[in-house]
Amino acid sequence: PKVGSRRNGRSGARKSARRIPKGVIHVQASFNNTIVTVTDVRGRVISWSSAGTCGFRGTRRGTPFAAQTAAGNAIRAVVDQGMQRAEVMIKGPGLGRDGALRAIRRSGILFRFVRDVTPMPHNGCRPPKKRRV
Amino acid sequence: MATSFSLSNFLSFLLPSNPPPPPPKAAPLNNLSLSSQKPKNNNPLSVSAKEDQSSSLSTDLSSVICPSLAYANTLFFASPYNVQIVVDDDEPEERVLNRFRREVMRAGVIQECKRRKFHENKQDEKKRKSREAAKRNRRRRPQSRSFVPNNQEEPTKKRDDDDEDNWDMPDDGNIPN
Repeated sequence: PKVGSRRNGRSGARKSARRIPKGVIHVQASFNNTIVTVTDVRGRVISWSSAGTCGFRGTRRGTPFAAQTAAGNAIRAVVDQGMQRAEVMIKGPGLGRDGALRAIRRSGILFRFVRDVTPMPHNGCRPPKKRRV
Repeated sequence: MATSFSLSNFLSFLLPSNPPPPPPKAAPLNNLSLSSQKPKNNNPLSVSAKEDQSSSLSTDLSSVICPSLAYANTLFFASPYNVQIVVDDDEPEERVLNRFRREVMRAGVIQECKRRKFHENKQDEKKRKSREAAKRNRRRRPQSRSFVPNNQEEPTKKRDDDDEDNWDMPDDGNIPN
């Protein structure tokens, strides 16, 4: 579905001033970090932010507070482009899930759906061996 | 609102004369037909995980009447999901969070993720399953209190039997040598 964007030339180079009223906020919350990506409905990324880029390092990246600041940063960059409505997709087990959702709620963006899209294998690939710590 | 939407969607499949109502997202899946459905639903572990909407009525109904349409709502959205919450704009933040957390716990997403992080051998799997079964049975069977009176009956019965036995030697004296 991304073939159409190539016809318009390299729109990725232009810091596009497109006004997208509706988008999707993806939150990937792993145990060590939280990445918040804002895309349009088709999935093309508009802006992203993560707990690591917000200045937290090490164990503090995985905390819900760091997820809150990451979500806040990501949304601030997008609200200027005029986004009002969004959908939230949360992936992964991690403490950042709640923190990011809280920050998104507080930021004033209207969202209708909150979905959990954690990928679940139907008993597929063999995971790595157990850690013996 | 969610219930009515899904019910009307589901019923529209049964009445082919009515066109299905447009999905909330501008998804290119308007040409759904019964033959071209592939189930994109994840997480087949527990029944609660199969409930795509936060209301259970519509999915129960649809899975009974027409099993292949049970996950029809998932197909309206481009990506499959495990849990979905419909949020009104006026809902307080804490309530949204709590609802989301409850739904996720019911679906068992985080537990499942932790389990799949590392490989577990057959021994661990058996242990885990027996633990889960014990937890489930312990919660569902508080009527096993009827065992207690039985225990009191059995020792008294045994004592009576012993009392009825005759431990004396025969009075005749004609004990064979």
